[in-house]
Amino acid sequence: MTDVVGSGARGGTASANRSAGPGRRPGIGAALSRVAVALTVAFAGLAAGAGYWQVARSSDLSSSPDDAAVIAASRHIVRGEISDRDGVRLAWTEKDPNGEPLRRYASPALSGVVGYASPVFGSAGLERAYQAELTGITPPDPVQDLVRKFRANPSDPQAMQTTLVAKLQEAAVAALGKDRGAVVMLDPRTGDVLAMASTPVFDASALASPDTASATMTALQADPAKPLLPRPTQGRYVPGSVFKIVTAIAGLGSGAISPDTTFPEQPAAEKTGLLVSGFRVTDGHHSATGSRAHDFVAATEVSCNIWYALAGLRTGGDALVSWAAKLGFGEPIPFDLPTASSQVTGGGGSFGGGFSDAVELANAAYGQAETVVTPLEMALVAGTVADDGVLMRPHLVRSFSGRGGTTTVAPETWRRVIPPGLAREISAAMQQAVNGPLGRRYTTGAQVAGLTVAGKSGTAELGGTGEPDSWFIGFAPAGDAAVAIAVVVEQGGRGAERAAPIAGQLLAAWKAWAGQ
Amino acid sequence: MTAAASVLGPGRLRPRPRNRELGLLLVVAGTLGAGSISLAATWSAGGAVPTSPGSVFADPVALAAYLGALFIAHAAFVLSGRRTDQILLPTVGLLGGISLLLMERLPQNLVGGLGLGRNQLLWLVASIALMAVIGSVVRSDAWLRLYKYTWAALGVALLLLTFVFGHDVNGQRLALSIGPLTGQPSELLKVILVVFLAGYLSENRPLLMDESTRLGPLRLPPLPYLAPMVVMWAMALSVVVVQGDLGAALLFFAVFLILLYVATARASYVAFGIVAFVAGGFVLYQLVPHVRVRVDIWLDPFAQASGSGYQVVQALHAFARGGILGTGLGAGLPAVGRLPPGGIPALHTDFPFAALGEELGLVGIMGILGLYLVVIERGLRVAASAADDYRAILAAGLSLVIGVQAFIIAAGNLKLIPLTGITLPFISYGGSSLLANGVVMGLLIALSDRGVEPPRARGARPNGVPAGKGSRA
Repeated sequence: MTDVVGSGARGGTASANRSAGPGRRPGIGAALSRVAVALTVAFAGLAAGAGYWQVARSSDLSSSPDDAAVIAASRHIVRGEISDRDGVRLAWTEKDPNGEPLRRYASPALSGVVGYASPVFGSAGLERAYQAELTGITPPDPVQDLVRKFRANPSDPQAMQTTLVAKLQEAAVAALGKDRGAVVMLDPRTGDVLAMASTPVFDASALASPDTASATMTALQADPAKPLLPRPTQGRYVPGSVFKIVTAIAGLGSGAISPDTTFPEQPAAEKTGLLVSGFRVTDGHHSATGSRAHDFVAATEVSCNIWYALAGLRTGGDALVSWAAKLGFGEPIPFDLPTASSQVTGGGGSFGGGFSDAVELANAAYGQAETVVTPLEMALVAGTVADDGVLMRPHLVRSFSGRGGTTTVAPETWRRVIPPGLAREISAAMQQAVNGPLGRRYTTGAQVAGLTVAGKSGTAELGGTGEPDSWFIGFAPAGDAAVAIAVVVEQGGRGAERAAPIAGQLLAAWKAWAGQ
Repeated sequence: MTAAASVLGPGRLRPRPRNRELGLLLVVAGTLGAGSISLAATWSAGGAVPTSPGSVFADPVALAAYLGALFIAHAAFVLSGRRTDQILLPTVGLLGGISLLLMERLPQNLVGGLGLGRNQLLWLVASIALMAVIGSVVRSDAWLRLYKYTWAALGVALLLLTFVFGHDVNGQRLALSIGPLTGQPSELLKVILVVFLAGYLSENRPLLMDESTRLGPLRLPPLPYLAPMVVMWAMALSVVVVQGDLGAALLFFAVFLILLYVATARASYVAFGIVAFVAGGFVLYQLVPHVRVRVDIWLDPFAQASGSGYQVVQALHAFARGGILGTGLGAGLPAVGRLPPGGIPALHTDFPFAALGEELGLVGIMGILGLYLVVIERGLRVAASAADDYRAILAAGLSLVIGVQAFIIAAGNLKLIPLTGITLPFISYGGSSLLANGVVMGLLIALSDRGVEPPRARGARPNGVPAGKGSRA
């Protein structure tokens, strides 16, 4: 409104108008033309506003899962099928006795990622993220979008092929067993997510069926194990020692440390603890390594907290946070499903990078302090090392197919994080951590016959008396990696005890699937 | 008899052909026919039971009745033999026809009576009839000009009646019932306001342009002449406070400011008025919960997408679904009243612009905005060529109430300004709005007749300054 009046006010002085108008009615003619111009501008503003919503925001809003047409369509349209990368059906639609569409799912193992489409509770997972495509409200291609308006039946539900491997997903859920936890497996060369397991699982078919939906949902929401939480993308865990790979990337990448770096104060600190601003960083499990000063590979092999604390301090808070950001920390990862952000520090502190002091930085450098991560993020960290320092954007969909043909989703490079040479140095250290004489003690379980595995275990202390979270991240075959993995088992004990054997089991399953 | 003669003018019939109007009306008929066919095709493709089996038109009877009314209005103008504007009737006719198609297409049970489409048809025909009668018969404006304070008193009375006896619609005191009749007084009030302002401003122009009072850097006219401005400001704010009717307040105040500018060419008034309005608005935001809710929704409707922002968010989704070309008439999703999903509450009165955005797309929206611009520009042209100040300001005011009102509600639908509950002229459902706008357009067409000289007001000087006040100018 101000626009109309404001532009109208842009007149000259009254005296100028008096002389401008026709003699008998000074000013009115000129004022009227200004009003006309102002209103024209105001209406042009309306047209621009309409253009913003109808062009710039059109596909964004109209394919949103919250869009009324998308929701309405999801109730009566026969959704497209969802399949895995080998063509195994993961979700399909049947007709119930009344002729209403009824969604069925192949296995509860996949529910965490595929989600559900329920007539009562809406949708979740891939069913929600690609509601528009699966129901055919918005084909992924704008040209088809124009053509479809002229069809009698404009909806064209798309079949969706995911990057998932159903076998690996089943294997991951079976390996996690009764524990709560998550597994992410991806192809570091393409960003294809091969498995994304979350336990405990739930039965999406029961949520999709109107008869059982309410009772099932009530039970799931009351379950203290939170089966509906998509742990790989939204679970935020203390990483423990698996975070050392992030510290290594930041330290080597920024040039603060080199593979040959040793810290003279480290051997003494093994016994007494490292004094940082009055706080002692201790390392309980290195009696075997004696009083040697470790270099990067040795420190990684034995998972030396002291060495990594010193490396973190030398790298500095700013560099650690900014290099972690290159790996996707500090923001939701752009992905098919909503993701929680991983963080190096809670931030807000006056020390560099938002750390509150040197103690927090020293602890964060080996994955304790305020550091929290999602399993997906840690799989990307492993994948970046595996793929010679290049971080591919993770994704879950290979293609959509409908009447208009097939649209393939191409792999996308997200960022180059470190040079290939540095990535190979870190890869060598991670191989040593799995296969070296000292590393073996912690990660024997991750070894697979006939496959060179690189990795890092982690034991995340949660404080209090409970068991720590058990972690493993890694990739294989080292040197020419085709799979990266992150495993977390909630309160599973030491990394070596629970997560590393699961990783070994799953990498063996991957080897069988890939025919390596 | 003499009074009637002075209003109606000489009664001889001298028909004068209006070929431009006829040609444009044929274009309008063709466009609406095409729209009706498209709607019927969408219905039959969707398996809906057609209103009229065997017809390619959606509702041929309603379409014929509406087009008939337009051509009869044209015939009335031809018979009256006046040299009035030939563009306004087809322009308004197209807007009304779009409204008819939209109301036929929405769920009919939103209102009682004959259903949404047929009710709207009746009001549209009545509106066109008013426009035709006023446009062809009214030849003198003396009855408006001479009794401006009577009109003002009537307006204030109407306002007070609404304050006291009005009943609330969606938390706003918008409706007034007298006997069996229910209406929105603000629609009538806007016409009275323009009639009064034209009289007041044209009479006091020289005084308002005087700059004898200094208030800091501001040079103002003698203070007593600022009183109406303060009264208008207070009235606008009281309409907001008592009635909760933001839209009417915004419309009244904006039209007042623009007319003040037209009359005085003084930008400082407008600046002063905007500052006063913003200050008042700020206080209202702090004090009146209704205003605060509206502004908060405007700032971020998506934050409350399933709560108070639902209506606005659904409207924005409707625009987005429409895209450039739209879904086509009848193929959109404005399932009013059936919630969820997709129904925009009060769509037929407050959000027809969003529904048209979905079904006709950006192209259709541009067309509709263009039609309003035509009304504005034709009206301002009538004003520019008017024979005296009174007619100029009256014609400008009449075109502004249509144009500014369309702007306020369209901008509200598009989240450019906070949403207000006023109607989109000639498109929204509702009798008060259609009848009042019919009167406005009728007067504008009557004023566009250049063949009739304005009456000499008693004691008025040629420059429009009344003798009694001339000495103070």
